[in-house]
Amino acid sequence: MTHLRVAVDVGGTFTDVCVLDETTSDVSVAKVPSTPADPMEAVMAGVAAAGVDLRDVALFSHGTTVATNALITRRFPPVAMVTTRGFRDVIEIRRGTKQDLWDAYKDVAPPYVQRRHRLEVDERVDYAGRIVTALDEDGARATARTLRRRGIETVAVCFVNAYANDANERRMREILVEEIPGVTVSTSSETLPEIFEHERFSTTVANAVLAPLVGGYVRRLSDRLRQGGYGGDLLLLHSGGGVMTPRLVDRYAVRLAASGIAAGAIAARHIALLAGHQHAIGLDMGGTSTDISLVYDGELRVTREWFVEYGYPICFPSIEVLTIGAGGGSLAWIDEAGSLRNGPQSAGADPGPACYGRGGTAATNTDANVVLGRLSARLVDGAVPLDAEAAAAAVRRSVAAPLGLDESAAARAALQVANANMADAVRLISIRRGYDPREFALVVFGGAGPLHGAALARDLAIPTVIVPPNPGITSALGCLLVDIRHDLAAMFLRPADDVDPAEVETEFAKLEAEARERLAVEGVAVGDISLQRSLSMRYLGQWRSLDVPCGVGAGAVEAAVARFHDEHAREFSYRRDGAAVELYQLGLRAIGVTPKPTLRPRPTAARAVASEASRRPVYFDEHPAAIETPVYRRSDLPVGVVLHGPAVIEQLDSTTLVPPDVTAVVDEWLNIRMTFDGEAQ
Amino acid sequence: MSELPANRVSTLDPVTFEVLKNAFSTAVDLMSEQILRTCHSFVIFARDFSCALCDARGDTIMQGSQDIAVHVGTLHYTCKAVIEAFPEDIHPGDVFAVNDPYLGGTHFNDVRIIRPIFHEGRIIAYAQANGHWADVGGSVPGSFDVNAREHFGEGLRIPPVRLWDRGVYRSDVARLIFSNTRVPSDNEGDMHAQAEATRICQREVLRLAAKYGVDTVVTAMSEVQDYVERITRGRVAALPDGEWETVDYIDSDPAAGEGLIAVRVRMTISGDQLHYDLSGSDPAVGSFLNSAYGASVSGVMAGTKTFFPDVPLNAGFYRAVTVELGPEGSVVNAPWPIAVTGFCSGPYEKIMNAIFELWSQVMPERAIACSFNLEYLLVGGRDARRPDRPVFMWYDWMVGGWGGRNGRDGSTATAPIFGVGLAVQPVEGQERLSPVMTTRHQILTDSGGPGEFRGGCGVEKGATLTAAERTVMSYCCDRARSIAWGIDGGLPSLPHGVWLDPAAGDERFLGAVFSNVAVSAGDSFQRPSAGGGGYGDPLDRDPAAVLEDVIDGYVSIGRARLDYGVVIEAVDPEICSYRIDANATAQARAEIAVHRRGWQLEDAEAIAVRYRSGELGAMDLVRRYGVIVDWGTGELLPETTSQFREMVARRSVAHWP
Repeated sequence: MTHLRVAVDVGGTFTDVCVLDETTSDVSVAKVPSTPADPMEAVMAGVAAAGVDLRDVALFSHGTTVATNALITRRFPPVAMVTTRGFRDVIEIRRGTKQDLWDAYKDVAPPYVQRRHRLEVDERVDYAGRIVTALDEDGARATARTLRRRGIETVAVCFVNAYANDANERRMREILVEEIPGVTVSTSSETLPEIFEHERFSTTVANAVLAPLVGGYVRRLSDRLRQGGYGGDLLLLHSGGGVMTPRLVDRYAVRLAASGIAAGAIAARHIALLAGHQHAIGLDMGGTSTDISLVYDGELRVTREWFVEYGYPICFPSIEVLTIGAGGGSLAWIDEAGSLRNGPQSAGADPGPACYGRGGTAATNTDANVVLGRLSARLVDGAVPLDAEAAAAAVRRSVAAPLGLDESAAARAALQVANANMADAVRLISIRRGYDPREFALVVFGGAGPLHGAALARDLAIPTVIVPPNPGITSALGCLLVDIRHDLAAMFLRPADDVDPAEVETEFAKLEAEARERLAVEGVAVGDISLQRSLSMRYLGQWRSLDVPCGVGAGAVEAAVARFHDEHAREFSYRRDGAAVELYQLGLRAIGVTPKPTLRPRPTAARAVASEASRRPVYFDEHPAAIETPVYRRSDLPVGVVLHGPAVIEQLDSTTLVPPDVTAVVDEWLNIRMTFDGEAQ
Repeated sequence: MSELPANRVSTLDPVTFEVLKNAFSTAVDLMSEQILRTCHSFVIFARDFSCALCDARGDTIMQGSQDIAVHVGTLHYTCKAVIEAFPEDIHPGDVFAVNDPYLGGTHFNDVRIIRPIFHEGRIIAYAQANGHWADVGGSVPGSFDVNAREHFGEGLRIPPVRLWDRGVYRSDVARLIFSNTRVPSDNEGDMHAQAEATRICQREVLRLAAKYGVDTVVTAMSEVQDYVERITRGRVAALPDGEWETVDYIDSDPAAGEGLIAVRVRMTISGDQLHYDLSGSDPAVGSFLNSAYGASVSGVMAGTKTFFPDVPLNAGFYRAVTVELGPEGSVVNAPWPIAVTGFCSGPYEKIMNAIFELWSQVMPERAIACSFNLEYLLVGGRDARRPDRPVFMWYDWMVGGWGGRNGRDGSTATAPIFGVGLAVQPVEGQERLSPVMTTRHQILTDSGGPGEFRGGCGVEKGATLTAAERTVMSYCCDRARSIAWGIDGGLPSLPHGVWLDPAAGDERFLGAVFSNVAVSAGDSFQRPSAGGGGYGDPLDRDPAAVLEDVIDGYVSIGRARLDYGVVIEAVDPEICSYRIDANATAQARAEIAVHRRGWQLEDAEAIAVRYRSGELGAMDLVRRYGVIVDWGTGELLPETTSQFREMVARRSVAHWP
């Protein structure tokens, strides 16, 4: 009987494995070093380390950075682009903007396909989808032969206005397949049938470069799992927060490009919902950076503006994650005008913080936490002893001496600046979008998150902080509980007050047919399919659209328009009820529900009391002197235990700081929940 | 950087200062985000806007981190203009508008919305959101009348006016404004987007005041300015004292004869003070390519900021950098009512490029040659694809090449230096909205100015009018004659200008500045954007780099030989196989080295004759002979040519061995 759900999340440094036993609801974890040369080795090692027999596995899901890394390192198979004559430079011209506005020596990266491999054919479709110039078949065939001679293995076919009529692109694909044995072809009308040539071409090109690579990796991993006795499909976490199977990877490989980033956000959502919070901010703080995500009304925010390298958008809906350069390894430093700064430079993994004793001499946030006693030089269960003296020396040199502060005041100042930077980033993703942080819970994880969570929440007036049971491997948990999901869209530019409901129904029906076909390919039973419609619209004349859910049947469009006014008021703080509204796009979220295990809450312990492991002096904000603080092992804390700060809770992969005036409770899901005492927040 | 500068004077603890500094920046960026997501004007959506938090005196505390360059250094002028216009008469709930270029604004399209931020009855700051409205009246759609001599033809001049009076919307004032524009509902949408943005900034500032105390926040506002001044002065003090001078040119004064119009810039570094003097510039011209003082100061600040990319922008920067524009009436200091809307294509980028050249001498490690000129083409008429024949405006601007740099080529196909956040529009969007079908939008081979490190490539765009009626075309650009130049021995790129290919008749050159040219269905037109000028002697360019350029089509085989003396042979182009003929290359380079000084001195009229006969092309004239003609007729422009040759002699020839 298969009873395990296994999730593997491959990160840059570690590969995390999370195993849920459906019979007992127990979650167990394992962490092994990643193997960048062949990520599959770490996946299999992690599975072994977790003691998993693949014959016992009901569902195997996987978040992978294979696609992201391929885009970053640009190790691509020989790739070409075929496009409409006159338009081969669309992906090099882009929108013409630079990410760094002022530095004339910082350039946008070159396109994924060199200009020499961008070939043109005669063909043209107009704005209404009419074929103005038929595809020149002879020219197309000659082009295909040229690409064969060049040894090209994967081709992006990108024609102007193909979103309105895909006939020429489809014919070009046929010719390429006929002429080039084994070629992979991505057409823009299939990858992303949306208006705006650069965004569509860019997404298609990314798909073309990734399809052979990702497809190959996924097939090899599938084979290995099957050999080990796993009988199901390998489920691949994609940017939209769902999974897909290897069968559609060639067509939508680019959707795996944000796989790794999505996992943490999905986990934050899951933990928040379990704990009864519909609104939550996820904060995943690691060694060099922090990923921030936002859940509202139980849904993660989704963006269509995502890229691995600036200038080359990947326009699939992706979970919105704001990454900032603030982590345990971020440096505290004094700038040329004497101001105290924090990050974005980081000591990285090597040499790492000074307290790692690997030659680092600059003060990092981790060093400051050691100086303040918040982080123990010797972890409670730990094998990694930290060099407290090196940490102190670094803080003295980098911060205390230049500012004329004592060591603890300097360390505290460094962390206050770090926390303020993170709080500003949270403001950008919340307040900027019209959300009030006071309605949210803060889910903190990653190795460093639980040390900073309470201070951040206080700064942002967030009333509740949740620390999940295994903060260091929380992302892997995100891969565990997701459905198969596809996001489809069709252009539909019409005035909202002049829409034929029958036409809307017909267009949605087309999308739904396509969705059912895709899910059928992935082996989803009809009864497990769930389809959710949405409409994107805007005030006539605006340049950005808002997505709102759309029902079925008479009055659905009117209801969606009413909802649009409300959403606009929330997101942008004004509404214009009298203004004309324009529909922009029909959207369809197609979900293939995967069987869900039941997680069982833990009963409150009969005697919910914690015993101190030790005590040590710890410095807290707004308390000049160190406070003798009890230290607990997390594994010793029973469900229902209540701890009044100050306290420090240590576990293998993280340390949670409970400041004075904060109460921490271990809930039935084994989360630590912190709330602030005596404040009407 | 572990030593504390001796001059740090602060009453705030380091944490509070750093936190508030970043919080001000967040408050301003929140405004930008709001505008970007709710604006109606596609020009604003393409990032032609800026935001600032100003202090109670109107001085800038923080400007948006992604703001367009062209508004830099002007937002405090308009804030002060509001303060001066309403002495003792600014109240909570008020919101003001101003667009007056003669009060420190840029041009009429840039409408600034300004909200005072009150704390317990006292003004502690102003939030300002500035956006380019698509139209503000005047004689032509888009409010860009090339032929305007005075502001009356350009658009509606809005002195500081009160749009909200103690929270009450003054619909009378709003009606007066919107009744004078072609797209009132878009304008009103933009105005609301901007006003809401300033409200968000106000909310953030008041949150900070509640949290840290109003006195602390006000102190931080002033210390953030001191902080930027300290950084800037520290950087300037570390540079050698000295004086540097150069000149760049606008093509011509249509009210006078041919001949380039000088924009002169002298820079002085003295201790920790940086000073610019533009007083040697020529008188204002008889078109709208003039600049009032605000825009000229902006050009200086933006040009300088390029060499201090990491220094935040606020009044502290403007204290360390001072500007003397010289007497009123010049092309860089035009008073009311001289037309100034085209400042962006005229003096603005000339000032910036001139400053780039000066700093290339002071900081050779960041050197950069001249970049292509901001340009935009407006085709407007009736769209006959629809029965109601609505008005269409095909308003198009392009990317181009930036100047070659020390150690690397210039950037290809990049937004203008006027604002590198200014995004080009998708062709597919344009084709839906206008009866104009784009036939090509591609990188222009050989457009990069030759150099050891060549200029970035420009692009070309060609289009055909389909179902268009009663249609006219206008163009705002420059540098058809004052062509983007190279430095340190590098060569210029190629002329800007529009070519019209009527359905009936011969192709003709319309130039780089023109207005209201009638066009009709079936007509085609095309235009290039220049590449950047080259950096360093093109004969020193690594032949392998030329070979790569040829394989990718950035440089043709023909011009590889003419411009670089690199002889390349196509072996099997279908599989990208080419090779360098080393012997022929050595010979070609030796020949060029012997003759090139002489070419620059050849009889200009004789060269013009060879251009008219088709023997020589524009690139030959510009790069090899330094000769400027009317590119349509081939008529020699003698005065322009002599000025251009003088310029090439100084920037290019003098650096050859």
